[in-house]
Amino acid sequence: MNSPHGSVHVTIDNRAVEIPLGSTILKAAEASGIYIPTLCAHKDLTPFGGCRICIVEVEGMRGFPTACTTPVEEGMIVRTQTAQIQSIRNEIFNLILSEHPASCLICDEKDQCKEYSVTVRKVGVTTGCRFCPNDGQCELQDVADKIGVTELNYPIYYRNLPVEKDDPFYDRDYNLCILCGRCVRICQEVRTANAIAFKQRGRHTVIGPAFKRTHLDAGCEFCGACVSVCPTGALSEKSRKWRGKEDRAVTTTCPLCGIGCQINVLVKQEEVMGVLPAEAPELNNGQLCVKGRFCIPEAVNTYKRMKRYQKLEDGVLVEITPDEAMALAAEKLATCTPDSFGLIISPDSTNEDFYVAQKFAREAIGSNQIDTTASSYYDGWFSEYLKLFSIGGTLEDLRRASVIVAVGLDTRYGRSVMGVELRQAMRRGALIVTIHPRRHNLSVIADVWLKPPWRGTPRLLNDLMTLINDPRHNVIVSDGADKLDKAAAILRGADSTVTLIGSEFTPDIDCDKIYAAVDELAKATHARILPLPAAGNLVGSIFMGAYRQLSPGGGPSDHMLDVHNMLHSTPSDDKTGGLYLIGVDPAPYRGTAEFIISQNSYPAENAQAADLVFPAAMFTEVDGTMYNQEKRLLNLHKCVDPPGDALPNWQIVSRLAARMGKAGFEYATVEDVQAEIPPIVKGAGDSLIKRNKIGVMTKKTLEEIRAKRARDGMPTFRISLDEHIFRGYPLSRWVGGMRIIQPVDTLYINPADAAQFGLADGEKAAVSVNGFERVWPVIIDDEQPSGEVRVAVNAAEWNMRYGLSITIRKHNG
Amino acid sequence: MEKVLFTHVDQPEQHRIETYVKNGGYQALPKVLRDYKPDEVIDIVRKSGLRGRGGAGFSAGMKWSFVPRDTPKPKYLCCNADESEPGTCKDRVLMERDPHLVVEGIIIAAYAIQAHQAFIYVRGEFVYPAFRMEQAVAEAYAKGYLGRNILDSGYDLDLVVHTGGGAYICGEETALLSSLEGDRSLSRIRPPFPAVEGLYGCPTVVNNVETLANVPYIINRGPDWFRSHGTEKSPGTKIFSLSGNVKRPGNYEVDLGVPLSYVINDLGGGVPEGHTLKAIIPGGASTPLLLPHQIDTPLDFESMAQAGSMLGSGAIIVIDDGACMVWTAMKLIDFFQHESCGKCTPCREGTAWLKQLINRIEGGEGRPGDIDLILDVCGNIMGRTICPLGDAAVMPTESIIKLFRNEFEYHIDNKTCLVKTSYPLA
Ligand SMILES: Cc1cc2nc3c(=O)[nH]c(=O)nc-3n(C[C@H](O)[C@H](O)[C@H](O)COP(=O)(O)O)c2cc1C
Ligand code: SF4
Ligand code: SF4
Ligand code: SF4
Ligand code: SF4
Ligand code: FES
Repeated sequence: MNSPHGSVHVTIDNRAVEIPLGSTILKAAEASGIYIPTLCAHKDLTPFGGCRICIVEVEGMRGFPTACTTPVEEGMIVRTQTAQIQSIRNEIFNLILSEHPASCLICDEKDQCKEYSVTVRKVGVTTGCRFCPNDGQCELQDVADKIGVTELNYPIYYRNLPVEKDDPFYDRDYNLCILCGRCVRICQEVRTANAIAFKQRGRHTVIGPAFKRTHLDAGCEFCGACVSVCPTGALSEKSRKWRGKEDRAVTTTCPLCGIGCQINVLVKQEEVMGVLPAEAPELNNGQLCVKGRFCIPEAVNTYKRMKRYQKLEDGVLVEITPDEAMALAAEKLATCTPDSFGLIISPDSTNEDFYVAQKFAREAIGSNQIDTTASSYYDGWFSEYLKLFSIGGTLEDLRRASVIVAVGLDTRYGRSVMGVELRQAMRRGALIVTIHPRRHNLSVIADVWLKPPWRGTPRLLNDLMTLINDPRHNVIVSDGADKLDKAAAILRGADSTVTLIGSEFTPDIDCDKIYAAVDELAKATHARILPLPAAGNLVGSIFMGAYRQLSPGGGPSDHMLDVHNMLHSTPSDDKTGGLYLIGVDPAPYRGTAEFIISQNSYPAENAQAADLVFPAAMFTEVDGTMYNQEKRLLNLHKCVDPPGDALPNWQIVSRLAARMGKAGFEYATVEDVQAEIPPIVKGAGDSLIKRNKIGVMTKKTLEEIRAKRARDGMPTFRISLDEHIFRGYPLSRWVGGMRIIQPVDTLYINPADAAQFGLADGEKAAVSVNGFERVWPVIIDDEQPSGEVRVAVNAAEWNMRYGLSITIRKHNG
Repeated sequence: MEKVLFTHVDQPEQHRIETYVKNGGYQALPKVLRDYKPDEVIDIVRKSGLRGRGGAGFSAGMKWSFVPRDTPKPKYLCCNADESEPGTCKDRVLMERDPHLVVEGIIIAAYAIQAHQAFIYVRGEFVYPAFRMEQAVAEAYAKGYLGRNILDSGYDLDLVVHTGGGAYICGEETALLSSLEGDRSLSRIRPPFPAVEGLYGCPTVVNNVETLANVPYIINRGPDWFRSHGTEKSPGTKIFSLSGNVKRPGNYEVDLGVPLSYVINDLGGGVPEGHTLKAIIPGGASTPLLLPHQIDTPLDFESMAQAGSMLGSGAIIVIDDGACMVWTAMKLIDFFQHESCGKCTPCREGTAWLKQLINRIEGGEGRPGDIDLILDVCGNIMGRTICPLGDAAVMPTESIIKLFRNEFEYHIDNKTCLVKTSYPLA
């Protein structure tokens, strides 16, 4: 009988197994160590039952049920290996191979052929499998070996479909496809992107987006989940198509955004060749976004990587030895006073980098002038943004939430693992409210999409707040009244709400008001807040005190010097003495300092942007730690050695300090650095720091900007920053595919606004801001709210957004 | 012989609700809502012995009784009007000529399983029948037979006419549900059966148009009356769609259990002058063939099975001596290959190979081993697929080859037909 815990007893190939009720025969077989070949089944996906290779015999059951779909029943007697089953399986496999080029799967000389090429190739290249990018890692090959197919009954039917190479990141050769549907299911069931489907019928069936769209147009997130589950070589990563199997894999953390996904970095011949998601159920749960999945190898292996120390001499960079570089830097920095020194570090650095860098500034130079580029990214409302962290929230909260509010969040490319979470939340019945000015990938799944007009967001949030408190209140609604009512009703009735915050409103002129309203809304609805910073280790930069106002541990620093002006808008006659940039594009700072040291993995676009260049290691080349947005401590593990003279950031900084004769920087290993952190940074060793109050920064700079803007009138449009910035540069600079999916330097404009400027789609617009002019191609976008234009720029143009007199005109030629 | 479903189909205005009511329509429904509990309706239908007319002949009452009663989930009723099996064209007549009969049957069935939402899934190409059904549904709403609180009984039902995806597979009940959900029409794995987990994961009954059209009559006249037609195990009447080489093709309603010859010869006038009967496909394109000496086989589920074929959907296709069986097999396999949904290997690949091999023989390029290879492939499909379409492709193919192997051999050897077909080849 069924046991009280709902398990049943079955017998598989004479072996007794106890297994939870509702399991499939396949699960029961796996539990008892019995191999049943499968092709369409996949542990993360609902059973499909299409390939039919897993058929078994069940006593008392008609026909041959498929193990992957048939639930166990008490007392079931299953046989998986009878002669009849084996022969049927063989026949079915034969049918599968009849449309899959696979002659050499069954060639009896295949081992020799592969090892020594001793034999004359017996099949054509196209109908063999040696040309398959998946050779050696193919599940078809495994099944062929396991079930011992040695002969094919059918001639091979080669479909002769053109190989699809037009979309970025992965190629598709559906001649190799066995129509197992795993890709379709993962895209629909797990990613819920629904980009691809089965098309046509019968033998004409082919996988792809409906209606002949490209993947790009069909809403594909380029998350690579389909590529990961494909059992054949039909789907293959462009960047490592022919590289075969990795030598080893190293689990580490993706620093390309604040989520901190766990990744398995594949290494071959001491080079990063690819990335696959790690399971990490508490975090990314086997999923990644396009950046983590596809961009890393190109980003870390680019031939432009900095390998040597260099100095600027007569306008050109010349290679020097590490010693020479250290000596030069020490000599220059010796002339800096605490007030004439500045250090800016990239917010995607490791905790150890932040810690050593701030210590360098504070102890070796005696200066508090430390900053990250995040504070210029979040501008004067950085403190508002950081305040959101103090309410705090975790992925756990999100997974339990009954209501989720997404504020300015689009999860198509960036943070797409959060999109997966959201859609799974939706499946379990959570209600979703999204606030975003444009159609985005959450607008289709959200229960309510609030669409604020340009500059209407604070008002919308306030109206929402009013309605939550008093449903009968008559607000002059800023968005559709019924939608606002519905959203208010959802939020009022919620027992657990989590608010997610994306980047859409970050460059907004009203950003501080928006964040303040979100904060208030969260408090009123007892919501947790999970800000999703674009920067990989923003939380670590706070904890480690990488800001002038914060000392390690997050408390306010004693010196409250305002370096903002120095860093961003210093008049040229009042230059800083020395600027030490770590992982930061030096170009915007040229002219603000007498002397710039640029320590980075990437070179600046303009060789003259820095006086001294130090080559830094990449995250794949270092050990260390980071915090994600939940304040969860994550580990980075070294996968490969850094190229040339490059070293981890903390190590270069320590060497420089030593060279300057400063004590306290004698770290031999990263553990030495880590050993020093815990006593200073409270709770830095805990793996998940709950509800930690983050120090709040001064509002001075914000008010200054406001005052200035009030004085001069508001800009008529805003510029948003490409948020896929890593170590100071947009990923698209190194990763070709990124340029296609998220075009930077392209102006999106509302049709009415375009008409006003006489601009047509594809034409060029000259945008000038305070005399600084850029020419960008124009895309007319119905979704773009009137009154603002959208252009993702990289750091060099970022200060254009301070522009107060903006003109747009048609650019001819 | 008494006609039941076809009693009124020849009346020009029968599709209007007034005529339908004048002719005794919408009498069963008030009776049901007033006098019977849902379970009692199921009981009556079970007692009548009504079997599904969509092909498999499963007891309708039994199917309804599988729907769980104490589930919090909504329940659905779907009327399968996808009628796409070659040769079958009976549901179409009912929908075009007596749509309210179908609507009334649907409402009663939905009440029996306590569904508050029902669908009619009409074959995509059936533009006119769909139009007539929509018109009937609108009329029924207007008269209060559908919608909230039907006839003051407190029972609510909405009925939606949905036009299909335009593929044969859409008629397979689980694929129909996928299609109705807006997905691609792919067959689903059973178990779970639709009665337990169907549309949107909720208990769902799928019944054929003709099955449901019988329901008002059963309610009005009682199960015993129904059993007075047909045989003990196959009670009632059935509409047979007679086509092929006969003088008077058409839809004929007869009692189940009448001999095949009655429909073909007495009603259909037999094969055209100068020809002799060669074979009969008795139950739609997916059933094995019968030979002339089997023409007296009774048309009921059991006798047909005993004779080695199936009653299927009741589409009788008559083949006379003017037809080449290789060509016939080719036309059949072309259809099934074209309609395979492509989800499972044996059917997707197998039907493609069958098509290729049979076309090769028909085209005069057959090779000596081809016939056995065809039978091999048939064996690789039969019983190994997700849904019955795979089997449906094999049954006529295997049967034709076994019965007329000589024609295939002749074709291979002589690169031409043994029988010069006397019909235009399309
Ligand atoms: C490929 C295929 C096509 C089918 N097409 C139809 C159809 O067009 N109409 C129909 O009523 N049943 C069709 N069926 C049978 C249905 O799956 C189902 O058995 C039937 O609708 C149940 O109704 P019934 O019990 O009233 O016969 C088809 C089955 C298969 C395998
Ligand atoms: S990459 Fe991701 S979104 Fe695109 S088709 Fe594959 S699974 Fe779907
Ligand atoms: S592309 Fe790969 S995963 Fe998708 S159906 Fe084909 S073989 Fe399966
Ligand atoms: S979501 Fe963030 S952490 Fe995860 S893979 Fe993408 S960039 Fe990396
Ligand atoms: S038997 Fe044919 S139609 Fe049915 S599921 Fe398989 S491939 Fe599809
Ligand atoms: S693995 Fe079971 S049918 Fe494919």
